[in-house]
Amino acid sequence: MTTPDSPTISRRATRTGLPQLGHYLAEAYRYRTFALFWSKADIKARNFETVLGRLWHFLNPFLFGLIYFVFVGILSGGGFSNTNRLAFIVGNLYVWTFFSTIINTGVGSVQGGAGGITAQSAIPRVVLPFASTLTAGNLFLRSLIAYVPLHVVASRGLHWEMLWLPFLFLMTGLFGLGLALLLAVANVYFRDVSRLLPHFLRLWLYLSPAIWAYTRVIGDGWPVETLARLNPMYSGMTAWTIAFGGPLAPGDPSMVGSILVFSAWAVGTLLVGFFTFISREDEFAVRN
Amino acid sequence: MSLQSGTDAIRISDLSVSYSAVVEETRETRGRRLGRRTRKRDIQALKEVSFNVPAGEAMGLIGGNGAGKSTLLKTIAGVLKPSDGQVDLWGRPHLLAPGMGFNSKLSGRENVVLGGLAAGMPIDEVREKQDSIIEFADIGGFIDLPTTTYSSGMFSRLAFAVATHVNPEILLIDEALSAGDAAFRDKAVSKVKEMCHQAQTIVVVSHSSALVSEMATHAVWLHRGRVKMVGEVRAVADSYIEFQAKERETAQYDRSIADRR
Repeated sequence: MTTPDSPTISRRATRTGLPQLGHYLAEAYRYRTFALFWSKADIKARNFETVLGRLWHFLNPFLFGLIYFVFVGILSGGGFSNTNRLAFIVGNLYVWTFFSTIINTGVGSVQGGAGGITAQSAIPRVVLPFASTLTAGNLFLRSLIAYVPLHVVASRGLHWEMLWLPFLFLMTGLFGLGLALLLAVANVYFRDVSRLLPHFLRLWLYLSPAIWAYTRVIGDGWPVETLARLNPMYSGMTAWTIAFGGPLAPGDPSMVGSILVFSAWAVGTLLVGFFTFISREDEFAVRN
Repeated sequence: MSLQSGTDAIRISDLSVSYSAVVEETRETRGRRLGRRTRKRDIQALKEVSFNVPAGEAMGLIGGNGAGKSTLLKTIAGVLKPSDGQVDLWGRPHLLAPGMGFNSKLSGRENVVLGGLAAGMPIDEVREKQDSIIEFADIGGFIDLPTTTYSSGMFSRLAFAVATHVNPEILLIDEALSAGDAAFRDKAVSKVKEMCHQAQTIVVVSHSSALVSEMATHAVWLHRGRVKMVGEVRAVADSYIEFQAKERETAQYDRSIADRR
């Protein structure tokens, strides 16, 4: 029996466990519309049977920010008249919610088996955390609609640094996706990861300048400032804070410097996460 | 890619598949240890399996529980990777998996789109076939309600309707022929047969050698992960049935000896 052409698909064992990259990426691209619809379905299902429905996409982070504002106001004795602080906290918490949603949903998408996809389909599994990133991005852009009036009331105005917002959005998405890919693999082997994740993300939020100003650690030197700057989200949240509200004070970290450090973290994490994920994804079918 | 008769659609060469499964430890093996209560178990599901499926042919996979039939089908589909050897395909495979990609909180109509996309159909094709899928599922006004409100029979009908509206070059079927009530089951079997006529190549897995004989022209008999026989479906099915009868006799004899002791 003769078969003249080379096969359309060839599956073979590889020493590294990595699939043929070109074929893998082409297959992932083939499922881009599925990723988009999967993401839309996730957004719709999130507020299934609630009275307020889609309003929760705005209300959740706003209420979260308001609670922080009230507590920070009480604890610092600074009162509640500082709308700029409220805008700062709410804006940054929207960003953090975007980042943490990518990770939580990305890890959960693989763990849940994704409607039988991990057990019954050859869809490249990277499509699932990617769809989660689309979901988180979509929700974040909606929450910005709720942020804009607050930005205006707080007289934060328009400034050049705002032009970095789309790039920061992209980098935060890539960094979150990279971490989601890494943690999704870890969670397949150690289910405890998904249990620890909410606590880890909450702790990370407190250690990042999201609800406290990045200027607070400047000049502290070792160990506080040094350790704070080792946190990738220090440069990330610093860049977002400046992009939303302009520099806090003269001598602040440079916007470009913060973005460069954050982008390096984002791209590096994405590459490590992607290759780790695709070298292990064939095990998801038997471990999920 | 179109295939001409006389060429291979699937070529499996020295294929071995092994994987690690996590198993729960029993109270005896766990002892008084705290913490982790699972352990890893290596499973060698397929060992040096080789055979070809010519284009345009229907091949049946038969064998008992744990023979490796589903593992082989999933490896051809790309769900599992070979640990050794290789699988070459001339055409895109489609594993018939009713309900794959469904989101229970969405309506039936929305799930038709989602399930169709998950099955690899382009969005235009899903939209084109949507009415035909809904008509085939025949669940009336429920199509616009969330699938959480469906009976299991209704859900099966819809899931089956979506899965069988794909036009694959290589169709892979794993015991997926039971769907819904008795009336729908006949419709489902006819639909699968129709798919088999349309598909260029078919691999069908079943415990039932009668079903495989009905749908396939050739068969592979797998036993404990190895190929025991390849050939015309009737000859393979007969040998398998004979083997099963001998196994049953041996088991019965062993039981009677044990009872006498």
